Order: sequence, then C-alpha cells, then structure tokens
Amino acid sequence: MRSMHRANSSKSLRSTKRRPRAKIKDCCRTITAFMFTQIGLGALVFGYTVIGAVGFMHLETPLARNNTTELVEIQSHRLRHSLELYRVALNQNIFDEHNFSIAIDRVLASYQSKVVELIKRGYMESSDGSAWTFPAALMFCLSVITMIGYGNLVPKTGYGKLATVIYALFGIPLYVLFFLNVGDALAGVFRWFYRKLHRCSTQPDENAHHNHKKTIVPSSACVWLMVGYLLAGAATFGPWERWDFLDSVYFCATSLCKIGVGDFVPGANYFSSSTSEGNQTKLVISYVYIFFGLGLVAMCYNLMREEIGERVKNAKEDFDQCVEDTGVRLLGCFRKIRGVVEEDY
Amino acid sequence: MERKRSVRRRRKTARRSWLKQCKEFLRQFIAFLFSNVGIILLVAGYTIAGSFIFMTIEGKHKLKLKEEVLNNRTIFAGKLWNITYELNRKVMGKEQFNASIDELLRLYQKLVVNFTRRGFDGTDDLTSSAQWSFAGAFLYSLTVITTIGYGNIYPRTPEGKIATIVYAIIGMPLFLLYLSNIGDIMARSFKWIYAKCCLCRCCPGVAKRRALRKIRREKRMQMDYDSDVTGSDVTEVSISNPPLGPRHSTVSEALTEELDTDVQNVPVPVTVCLAIMVGYICSGALLFCKWEEHWTFMDASYFCFISLSTIGFGDLVPGDKIYGRGRDFYAEVLELSFVFCSIYLMLGMALIAMCFNLMQEEVIHKIQTTVRTVKYILRCNR
Repeated sequence: MRSMHRANSSKSLRSTKRRPRAKIKDCCRTITAFMFTQIGLGALVFGYTVIGAVGFMHLETPLARNNTTELVEIQSHRLRHSLELYRVALNQNIFDEHNFSIAIDRVLASYQSKVVELIKRGYMESSDGSAWTFPAALMFCLSVITMIGYGNLVPKTGYGKLATVIYALFGIPLYVLFFLNVGDALAGVFRWFYRKLHRCSTQPDENAHHNHKKTIVPSSACVWLMVGYLLAGAATFGPWERWDFLDSVYFCATSLCKIGVGDFVPGANYFSSSTSEGNQTKLVISYVYIFFGLGLVAMCYNLMREEIGERVKNAKEDFDQCVEDTGVRLLGCFRKIRGVVEEDY
Repeated sequence: MERKRSVRRRRKTARRSWLKQCKEFLRQFIAFLFSNVGIILLVAGYTIAGSFIFMTIEGKHKLKLKEEVLNNRTIFAGKLWNITYELNRKVMGKEQFNASIDELLRLYQKLVVNFTRRGFDGTDDLTSSAQWSFAGAFLYSLTVITTIGYGNIYPRTPEGKIATIVYAIIGMPLFLLYLSNIGDIMARSFKWIYAKCCLCRCCPGVAKRRALRKIRREKRMQMDYDSDVTGSDVTEVSISNPPLGPRHSTVSEALTEELDTDVQNVPVPVTVCLAIMVGYICSGALLFCKWEEHWTFMDASYFCFISLSTIGFGDLVPGDKIYGRGRDFYAEVLELSFVFCSIYLMLGMALIAMCFNLMQEEVIHKIQTTVRTVKYILRCNR
C-alpha cells in the first residue's frame, strides 16, 4: 500500500505542484490511522474472513467429487446387502422365525459396521453436494482465526491444509489485535454507561465529585452481562436448531470460551440439508453472534482485570495492616507478661 | 508460684511457636502451590481429577447407547420378517421385495448414522466403553482447559455438559496461570543459556573481542553519521554532536559496561524464537508420523500446528493407540504415546508462551522503528 501511495504521489508530483501530493499523503495517513481504530480493525477482520471464505471455497470444492464417490459406495453396499437379505429370505423360507432373524441380524450387523466405517472416513448423510457453501466457509474462517476450531468442516486436500496453516499464521495475530482493541473500546463504553446509570440511580451527593474521575465497574455486572448474553444466545439457537436449552447453553459457553468442541454447530444439523435457504441466514447470524460475543468477552476480561487488580491491592493493604496490628498487639502482650514477670522477681 | 508461672509461660510460648510454625507451614505450602513445580502439579492433578469425573459421568451412557443399537437391530429384523411373511403369502416378486427391503435399509442406515453421531463406535460388545477410558477422559479434560477442544469425544449426558462448563470456567484461568508462570521461567532460563552458550559469555576472551568489535562498529557508524550530518545540514550538528560525543570516553570503560550488563538484558533475536517453534512442530510431526501408521509428515505437522495454536479441529487425532480398546487400566495409563501426547501439548504451549515472552520486546522495538521510518517517509512533522 505504501509503495502504491508513493507511486501515486510521484505521478501527481510530475503532473501538478505540491498541493495534491500533500493531500494524498494526508488521505493516506488518515486511512492508516482509521485502519487501526476499532471499526477499521473490525472491517479488516471481516474482510479477511470473507477473502478466506472465497479462497477455501475454491480450494475445497473439488472435494465434492470425492464425497460423491462415498455416496456411490454406500449405495452399492446397500444394494449388496439387500440382495443378501433376499437370498436369506429364499433360503429360510420355511417359516422358521428364529433362524431367519439370526441370519438377518448378521447381515444387518455387517451393514451397520460398513456404514460406521464410512462415517469415520468422512461420509455425511446430508452433504450430497458440496458442504463448502459460502456461509459455511465464512464460519470455518472465523473458527480458524478465533482459535475456536469446531471441526465439523475441515479441509481435506493437502493444499487446503497448507492454506489453513498459512491463513491461521496471519489471521491469529490480526484477530488478537482486534480482540485487544475492541476490548478496550467496549470497556470504555460500558464504563461510561455504568457511570451514567450509577449516577442516575444514586442521590447526587458530595461523594459524586471524587468518584467522578474513575468508576470501577464491579465484576458482578460483567458476569451478569455475560450470563445474559449466553442465555439470549441459547434462547435464539435452541428453537432454530431443535436443541434443548441445556445443549444450546453448552454450545454458547464452549464457543465463547474458544473451546469449540464441535458436537453442536449451527447449520450442521443432521436432519436438515445444509444448502437450504434458512440455514444460510442462521449461519450468518451465528457468525455475528460469535463475533460480537468474543468482543464482549474481551471487554469483560478488560474490566475484570482492572477490578481484580484493585481488589488484590486492597487485600494486600488490609493484610499488611492486619499483620502490623497483630504485631503491635503481640508486642503489647509480651510487654505485659514481662512486666508481670519482673514484678514477680 | 514462681515456677508455676514460668512453666505456664513456657507452655504459652511453646503453643504460640507451634501455631506460628503451623502458619508458616501453611504459608509456605500456599506459596509452593503457586510456585512453578506446584502449579505443574496443580494442573496435572486438576486434569486427572477431571478425567475421573468425566469417566464416571459418561461411562454409563455409553453402554445404554449400545443396548439401544442392539434393540433397534432386533426391531428391524422383526420388520424384515414381517415383510417376508407378507410377501410370502402373496406371490414372491423379487422387485417388490427388493424395493421394500431397500426402503427399510435406507431407514436403518439413517438410524445408524444418527447413532454414530451420538457416539456409537461400531462394536457390539457391551463390556467395554472404549472412548471414555482413562486415557480418553484425560485427553478430553486437557483439551477443555487448554481450549483446544478436538471434539472427537464429547459429553452426551446433560450432567456431563454442565460438568464441562464448570470445569472449563475453573480450569482455564488455572491453565493461563500455568502458561504465564512457566513461560516466564522458561524464558529466563533460555535467555541465560543463550547468553552463556551461544554468545560465549562464559569465556571472557571471546566476549571481550565481541564487545570491542561492537564498540568499533558503533564508533564508525557515529563518524559516518557525523560526516553525513555536517555535509547536509550545519545547524543540526551543533545540537546533536555534543551529547553524542563523550558517551564512551574510553574504550575500556565501555568494555566493562558492556561486560557488566545483566544476562537477562541480552536480546534474543526473533529468528531464534521462530526457529524453535518450527523445530518443535517438525520434531513432533516426525514422532507422530512414526507412531501413527496412516499419517504422512504433512498430516502430522498439520496436526501439531492445529493443536498448538489451540484451534483443534479434531479431524486428525492421535487415535488408535491412545483410545485402546478393552485393555486393563494400568496398561492404558502407561501407554507411551498417550503420555507423550499430553506432555507434548503441555510443553509445547509453555514453549510458545516462552517464545512470545521473548519476542515481545524485540517486536515492539521493531514496530517502533518501522513507525519512525514510515513517519520519516511521509515526513510527518506533527
């Protein structure tokens, strides 16, 4: 970008006088400054995920063919086993239910083991085309750079894996920068908000003057905020995905803690196909939810660190005072005892 | 009277000293708990406790699921019997029979897929619960508190889910504490080793020569700068020259200063840190692709990167050897690769924390330099 700018400026220098060059320089400077603000960083992260999503879609779509071979395989398995069942039915045609059910159980068990093996190799019931739709790829990129890593959708080609590693190498620092910045900004907003509320709710007395400069938000407020966000997320995801409430709370908590176990992922529902229209919007909404939720986590981390630091300092002071106090008291005690003893002598 | 009092006093002091001893012991114990060895033990103990908790919670569910699968299979067999019976009473048409059987098998396939999603592993024996063995549960707890979260095994019962949430909320700060503590210690010791061995600080001759060379280079640079400045701008010289000049009045003084600088102030270059990280990942990958039969080197290094960056997709997990099926408890615990994997993860994260610790100053310094350069290029006078 800088080289572009320089090329631009040199060209403009040739064509005109000093004025436009300075203007371009100013413009460039403001753009760079804006890029490091919260909104700019957010846009940067968003753009990075969008670019990543497009890239991964192109890298991984050839895999759809591979997935269809698995589909063909499972169909052939089904055909073979149904033929075998027919043979069993022909052989055991003497109305011997016991033998018949034993033979059929054996056939079914072999079929079951085949299906399980195929699933372990990556066969998905619902993915009869490409699993890498745009929202899904967007979700994948977000899960990579935020280090959540759901793992419901993973690159299977060698190039995809290499691209993931490189993408993570550049994406994670970017995201961390965003995380710290947004945490700061949101913490400032929340503190201001809290101060306003605090001042409104309490009587304006003389204490307000020296409280004014720095109000420390209690950590209970942060905890309540996080719990509220969690419950709101759970309440929205639950009915959509037909999860029960505990499952959706579990999903939200593990996502926001960046564990990302990946047993519950929005849009990866087994019963509905992943290409339907509703699922796409759901994916986008869950993307926004997680994006914003991680910002909130950063904010809470920021505020709580402040408060805990203050508390630790207070506790240390208290402890020191306590130690001093006991020391003085012990000394007094000793003196009294010594006095008594000396009196005795 | 006198003796009695003295005895009482002695007893009193004895008791007090005992109390004091107890208090001192307690304080030392807590200090030890938050010291380096203590925190390693704390994390390990927490993980082991977690693995036992998850084993007891999730172990039962597994057997229930297997019973369910078996029941479903008998139900389907009964259905097939019914179909055969129905068709047998009429004319035995092969197409019709095949069509109905295919329909039924499709249903059964859906059911099996569903069961597998819920954690069915494809074996029939009701005795062993392979996934939530001690090794599996231990790795699960480790991936929860390190926020890797592979997701190859996950809790299926509601109690297990609640336990996971609570476990994570307590465990993650603990692990962060471990990381910062151990990372700090490792950074300090690495700096010491680097200064002593790589820069040959321990043998004075080399250090002396190195310091001399450095001073000479500085002087030359300064002279160049001075001549440059005098050539271009006269007014600046009068300002900048006097404070720069008498900084190192004699060479020997500068030498002693150079040699006296603390070992902890030796900057470790970024490239060394990066090399350590890449080397750690590559060595891990080599070991893992020896251990796992189907992994290529590429796969193994991908696994190491995804694990150590705490992304943790869980598509590649050191599997078959760790989730041993139905062996006795102690053989599993002592399984080498399981122990190796958990130690690899714990050590690797601490190593990465160390590298970040080391790189921090250097990177900040570099960024400041870059900012200055950009400012100079843009000629920002503000």
